Amino acid sequence: MKTEIRFTHKSLVESSKSGDRNAQYQLYELYVDAMYNIGMRFLGVKEDAEDIVQDSFVDAFKNLHNFKYESTFGAWLKRIVINKSINHLKVKRLPLAAMDDHEYHLTEEIHNDPVDAIDIQKVKMGIEKLPLGYKNIINLYLLEGYDHIEIGEVLGITTSTSKSQYHRAKKKLVEIINTL
Amino acid sequence: MDNFEKHIRASKASFDDQKADRAKLWANIEAQLEPSEPKVIPLWKLPMLRIAATVLVILGISGLIGISFLNGSTNENNFVSKELQDIDMHYKGLVSYQVQLVKNNDKLSDADKEEFLSFMDELDTEYEQLKLEMKNNLDNELVLEAIVSNYRKRIELIENLLRQLNESKLKDEDYGYTL
Repeated sequence: MKTEIRFTHKSLVESSKSGDRNAQYQLYELYVDAMYNIGMRFLGVKEDAEDIVQDSFVDAFKNLHNFKYESTFGAWLKRIVINKSINHLKVKRLPLAAMDDHEYHLTEEIHNDPVDAIDIQKVKMGIEKLPLGYKNIINLYLLEGYDHIEIGEVLGITTSTSKSQYHRAKKKLVEIINTL
Repeated sequence: MDNFEKHIRASKASFDDQKADRAKLWANIEAQLEPSEPKVIPLWKLPMLRIAATVLVILGISGLIGISFLNGSTNENNFVSKELQDIDMHYKGLVSYQVQLVKNNDKLSDADKEEFLSFMDELDTEYEQLKLEMKNNLDNELVLEAIVSNYRKRIELIENLLRQLNESKLKDEDYGYTL
């Protein structure tokens, strides 16, 4: 089953590899919205997200010969978008690891899970209000479904750092949501 | 994973609420993909040219090394031969002065002079040969030794001649005294 998933859109990918513009457009159609949403979540600015998505597709099509079906095409493309987004944030010199400033403001264990009642709109707003470092890690773990090993690779931090930062980020998020 | 996380992951789809401007983005992407469409193989990717370039580079480098090496050794040659020339000049002057003295000496018989000068000429020709040999292999110790011994022979020859002269003088004087 797993192998079948990896070969999703195989014929489109193969045609795109040989430069078939039509196949490339079909792949683009399939993934552009998902990629744009990822870009928006990380960068928060429409123009930046558009630039990143464009660059990612161009890079993906130009380097498609390097894609060897070790993951799905979507996951491969997503990794490109995420890496580009993180790099973009780094270039803008936004502190990715400025999370320590906030950890002392956290009140310990307010685990009165607000879960079921939470509506997604509040969660979205809460994520937007998080400090950038927390926001990235929440995005990567909760929404992109990356594990801590992958997050470590993407952000250039250790797995344990990723875990502890994620837990702080989640606490902070719950805290923010409760105030909304 | 707690309920909070499960809840968010379950409603992941509702996070993807943004719509991309498909036409605009595709136009930009296509524009950037365009140049790669005609299959252009860069010159340096052709294997033949790569080999040619490699050969050129190797030739160039070895040429440079060769030139610098030759330069270095000729400098050394110059230096050594300069020293040699100085020594040569010194001995030549000395020898020719002595030869002149011998030639002008009245007390020596013509036969003695002839013998001495022919020896000198012999040594001269030997010396010329050694000099030629020297040019071919400068570092050869044997050649250097031969040159030195060539000079020694000349000096010896002159010394012998002088002793001969003195002895004849002494003989004369002794003779005078004994009488």
